[in-house]
Amino acid sequence: MSNRTTLRDVAVLGVGMHRFGMWPDSSNAEMGRIAGLAAMKDAGVSFRDVDAAYVGQIFAPVMTGVRVMKEFGLTGLPVQRLDNASATGSACFYEACHAVSCGRYDVVMVLGFDKMTSMIQESGQNTDPAYLEDAILPAGFFAMWATRRMHERGTKVEHLAKIAAKNWNNGGKNPMSQRQPDKPVSAEKVLAARMVAWPLTTMMSCPIGDGAACAIVGRADLAKKLNPGRPVVRVLASDLQSERYERGHLFMGPVVGPARMTVDTSAAVYEGAGLGPKDVDLVQVHDAFAIEELEYYELLGLCGRGEAEACIERGDFELGGRVPVSTDGGLIARGHPGGPTGLAQIWETTLQLRGEAGPRQLAKARTGLCHMMGGGSVCAISVLQRA
Amino acid sequence: MGDTARKRRPVKSGYFTVPADPAEAPKLLGTRCDDCGEYFFPKRAVCAKCLSENTAEAEIGPSGTLYSYTFVHFPLFGSTKMEHVGYGVGQVDLPEGPRVQTPLAGKQEDFRVGMPLVAELEPIREDGDTDVVILRFRPAEAGGAR
Repeated sequence: MSNRTTLRDVAVLGVGMHRFGMWPDSSNAEMGRIAGLAAMKDAGVSFRDVDAAYVGQIFAPVMTGVRVMKEFGLTGLPVQRLDNASATGSACFYEACHAVSCGRYDVVMVLGFDKMTSMIQESGQNTDPAYLEDAILPAGFFAMWATRRMHERGTKVEHLAKIAAKNWNNGGKNPMSQRQPDKPVSAEKVLAARMVAWPLTTMMSCPIGDGAACAIVGRADLAKKLNPGRPVVRVLASDLQSERYERGHLFMGPVVGPARMTVDTSAAVYEGAGLGPKDVDLVQVHDAFAIEELEYYELLGLCGRGEAEACIERGDFELGGRVPVSTDGGLIARGHPGGPTGLAQIWETTLQLRGEAGPRQLAKARTGLCHMMGGGSVCAISVLQRA
Repeated sequence: MGDTARKRRPVKSGYFTVPADPAEAPKLLGTRCDDCGEYFFPKRAVCAKCLSENTAEAEIGPSGTLYSYTFVHFPLFGSTKMEHVGYGVGQVDLPEGPRVQTPLAGKQEDFRVGMPLVAELEPIREDGDTDVVILRFRPAEAGGAR
């Protein structure tokens, strides 16, 4: 069944990344150029073939989007910069896919980059718990998800630590990951790390970082022509939703939710893609903090309500598990610079569906789901499938 | 110099009352929809539930129930400063309906989900003869936990 999230004959033609990390000497333009050239090379297109560009950057000074795009040349193409907090790259991908689906463009570049490290140096000030708006930081906000979950479901800190350890270890198999542990990370090590906001430790939280990621999306028939013999990765459906009011809605602070937003957005995308959570082989989520990933297992329908803890204990979401989640390390290990984060999910899913994910390649990878939340808040979900 | 002699003003106006009597608990400044009766914090012009523009200012609280909490040990995202002692924050359900996020008075061991709370004003700095105050919640039975 199709709905407004359904995409007609849209494919990921190519993907590219600049590794996420602390890169004080690399500019957004440089990282963006590296990711963009890699994606065009992967797609087999030149910049002259690109009809339009959507550029994602959260903390963007005026004109950055169009200026960074000049790195590739000046061809007159339309360039738009978009921001939707953590979901910035995903929001750009959503816009690009629907623009191709409705026939507006044949080939679109979706480019995300950000430099969180420079942002911190510039801001410099300390947070004052005096201010209602400033006292609740993202870690504190999600820590309160954890406290509530522990109260309602008896969740243990060990469950959160196991999720984080999984993502660290997946990151160790991804050359583009910011965190690449040289030996396996245990749940005990995650628990022993410094406390950020109880019960979340630094190792259960995503790092600050810089980086860039790019996806070239276009007409599905072009994918076959440009790269004969390579599996075509289609984007079946993509949606972005903001919040619906319900009592208890939080209007202040770095808010993500309510939980229902992920349920509503995924329901629309499942219907638009003509499949359900049981058909999904791998999933990327907004795991800025380990408790988030735990909640999204249930909200995306990967398991029933209240079943997440048992599934974690069984290893359902590990590489090789029932439905692997955060296969590239997720935000916790691969990193979360901001603008490019959602596109790193597309990069990972595309490689997995093409069978090119190296040491973390899944045996069965036909359908993948990418989920991002953006503070404020929005939820963006796309479903990709190997044709 | 007696405490009662000092004037108080909010760190940011429009969010909570500062009663003349220091023994009186502050209230939160929100909005009530005249059409559907839903309450909101902070103030807003249009009802988020029924979209009515027929709204009016309303005082909310000062009692509440702790929905969830945490103790922030290292508050600033990406901060390199290490000297923080930390502070509690909570999501508090107010009897009129809104849920708010505020700092909590007390240590982590003082908090538990579902406990009754009450709003209080806490001086954070002096400005001449005036105390600049923030609103926070404290466990109701503790009677002034610090």
